[in-house]
Amino acid sequence: MIGMSRQFMLSSILFVFVLLVLVPLAVNMSGRQDLFYTLTSVALLAIASGGVWLTFYIGRINIGQGAFSLLGGYVSAILMVHYGVSFWLALPIAGIACSIVSVLIGLPILRLRGVYFAMTSLVLTQVMQLLALALPITNGAKGMVSIPLPGALTLFGVTLIPDFATIGNLKQAFYFLAVVLMIACYAGLYRLTRSRLGAICVSLQQNEELSASIGINIAAMRVLAYAVSSFLGGIGGAIFVAISQSIYPSSFTVTDSVNFMLNCFLGGLGYVFGPMLGTLVLYFGWDLLYRTADYQLLIFSSILIALMLVLPNGLLSLRLKALAKGGHYG
Amino acid sequence: MAEFLSVSGVTRRFGGLVAVNNVSFNVREGEIMTVIGPNGAGKSTLFKLICSFLRTTEGEVRFRGEKISDLAPHIVARKGVVRTFQEATIFKTMTVRDNVIVAHHLRSKASLFGYFLNSALARSDNAAFRESADEILATMGLSGLADELAMSLPQGHLRALGMAIGLASNPMLLLLDEPFAGMNHEETMQAVDLVRCVRDRGVTVLLVEHDMSAVMKISERIVVLNFGEKIAQGTPAEIQSNERVIEAYLGVEDDSIGL
Amino acid sequence: MEQALANGVYLGAQYALIALGLTLVFALMNVLNFAHGQMFVLGGFVTYTVYGQLKLPYWIALVASALTLAIVGALFEKFLFRTVLKRSSRDESTMLLAAGTAFFLDAVILLIFGEKQRGVPKIVNGILDLDVVIMPYDRLLIGALAIVMIVAFILFMQFSKPGRAMRALAQDRTAAQLMGVEVERYSMIGFALGAMLAGLAGGLLVAITGVNSGIGGPISIKAFMMVMIGGAGVISGAILGGFILGMVEALLLSVLHSYGDITYLVIFASLMVFLSIRPQGLVGKPWG
Repeated sequence: MIGMSRQFMLSSILFVFVLLVLVPLAVNMSGRQDLFYTLTSVALLAIASGGVWLTFYIGRINIGQGAFSLLGGYVSAILMVHYGVSFWLALPIAGIACSIVSVLIGLPILRLRGVYFAMTSLVLTQVMQLLALALPITNGAKGMVSIPLPGALTLFGVTLIPDFATIGNLKQAFYFLAVVLMIACYAGLYRLTRSRLGAICVSLQQNEELSASIGINIAAMRVLAYAVSSFLGGIGGAIFVAISQSIYPSSFTVTDSVNFMLNCFLGGLGYVFGPMLGTLVLYFGWDLLYRTADYQLLIFSSILIALMLVLPNGLLSLRLKALAKGGHYG
Repeated sequence: MAEFLSVSGVTRRFGGLVAVNNVSFNVREGEIMTVIGPNGAGKSTLFKLICSFLRTTEGEVRFRGEKISDLAPHIVARKGVVRTFQEATIFKTMTVRDNVIVAHHLRSKASLFGYFLNSALARSDNAAFRESADEILATMGLSGLADELAMSLPQGHLRALGMAIGLASNPMLLLLDEPFAGMNHEETMQAVDLVRCVRDRGVTVLLVEHDMSAVMKISERIVVLNFGEKIAQGTPAEIQSNERVIEAYLGVEDDSIGL
Repeated sequence: MEQALANGVYLGAQYALIALGLTLVFALMNVLNFAHGQMFVLGGFVTYTVYGQLKLPYWIALVASALTLAIVGALFEKFLFRTVLKRSSRDESTMLLAAGTAFFLDAVILLIFGEKQRGVPKIVNGILDLDVVIMPYDRLLIGALAIVMIVAFILFMQFSKPGRAMRALAQDRTAAQLMGVEVERYSMIGFALGAMLAGLAGGLLVAITGVNSGIGGPISIKAFMMVMIGGAGVISGAILGGFILGMVEALLLSVLHSYGDITYLVIFASLMVFLSIRPQGLVGKPWG
């Protein structure tokens, strides 16, 4: 593909192979099917975190992604339950719905910078949660349950993806769904950072006034980036709904929004694949600590604080430049 | 026939303070004009009003007949009026060449989507921009530093980069914001040559500046501000012998008058 | 109506106290203390322990809360925030550190005090009945105490040496340094003071509504909102924001009764609209 170094192309093919072939094999052999569920969660959270990374890329601190995951989840749930829409259609519609809402919200608030934007985005998650509680269509605190599994995806009579109800290993099927979407998402983000769009985003991040003076419509570009970011948040939410077959106002909270941000940060804000790594580490880290029971949060937060003291630029700043080439725009 | 750049009755008030008061002048195509004045004369404010980084309270600025005051900054750039900034205003973590390449934004033929998909048009744009960037860098004397990170450049080169960024959009009028500030004599002379190079490429230049020796050397016409008002306009020779100008600068050290 | 207003004043005083601590830290170090709500909760629990469990006088409990949080704040600043501020100039770093400390305090609170809702016996019994306004005496006392603390804080910041130093630091860090203000010392004092205010607010409110480990986060968010309404980094902003939020909450609740959720929805949505029009809040410094 254009714009990729040979080394990177080989690494990414290897990576995809590992994810789609080796990992399922390993999990199946070990008999620990629950690992599929964990990895699926990591994948969908990584997608949402990727969206947050994109807002960082244009120079805003986004602590509101949970709102769009929630919105996307509810949109797809409502479409599937009340209107019988197929999951394969509900998924992109949920994403687009989030984009539209984010454009409306983003137009006024993206002017804000730094902590001001961060705080406003924080409030957004709360607003979305309260809307979910208040609106009749979302069924309030009782949430929505018994959401159907994804149906078959047929195109011109050819069944591309079988009905999930007929699949034997459901956990594996969801794993593939989430991972394929995650790969697509990050492929897109990577392509963005390597293209002219990436340069524009970096220019916004570094000096908005200078960007304007060279003719970049900074307000429009910010909104565009935010729309894509929210789209990814919505997709993450919709996938979550498909897997858990339910959604509640508490499915995505402020804590989740903060976690998405943490994922980006831990991986390294300067690296487009950072959020993927960050999500993996944080999610598994949390899971692994499960055995410490009551001390889980204490140990987790202590390690987090320690990491922030030691590695202010994230985990990937430790990696070799070769892997970091995926968008090193500081 | 419309004036190239016409500033008409431009006024800017901040609360009770009048920073710029009813300033009017024209800039002719192809010339190098400078706006000077003692500290606090309102030069900076006037500069920002002309390139629409500040809204006017009264009056307007027209470029080739079209009003450009009070428009969004990126639209002003699109119309062919590009500004530079004081101090180290560059994209710090990009290389010098990338700084200039990204500044070619206004010359893009491909759409954003095309860039994302790396269409043929996008590729030809990228190639053209790279070539053009190298050419501009050569003019500005920055070719040897093209692959360095912008933030590692010394002062003088930063200014040159700032001008290079301005040139990349292919402007008709370039507004330079105190391009010689903080430079020693040698650096100033080099910068003066660069400004002449810019004009020789067919770009009209309007400067706001403090350094009198540079101003006298490079300007074809000068506008003098004091306390927000225009007090004189003319060639360097006329300005140097203008009583009101000398009075305004009285109390300032002799060598800054640059006579 | 009058009842709602009275409730609003009482609530506003509490909120203003919370907001003050947050805005102080923000003004000094440009750090938004995510853990502010947790510090509030910790203060409440300390008071619960000292007054409710150990049966010591209420004012001793408040002092204990204040001291505990002051120490926590000082430690956080000295060992955590100072390090991160030195090593990274990005806004995000300190924000995430603050988030980490919030989780940490949450964990500590859960471990030490458990998840149950805790309350303390009324500090003073009886109700003031003025027909139009009914206010229990303990609320009056707490409200009065809050106002006294706010005034004391303002006086301290205005007239004491540390107060003036901190104000200079908040205004212009470099200039303050040049004038000889020891940045590190006063950053620590400021953070400690901010934490202390949160702890005191918690100690006050536990006497009325009790406290549980889960309200830390929501209190933080309320504090952020107050600071944003009034204007970040400005004392008057925090007080304004606190009282406005208190009033609005009391008034809306009296109008919308049981629809607590809608109340907050309206508040939040209005806040977002307000912030997009006036990002610096009511009296905040215009930023850029």
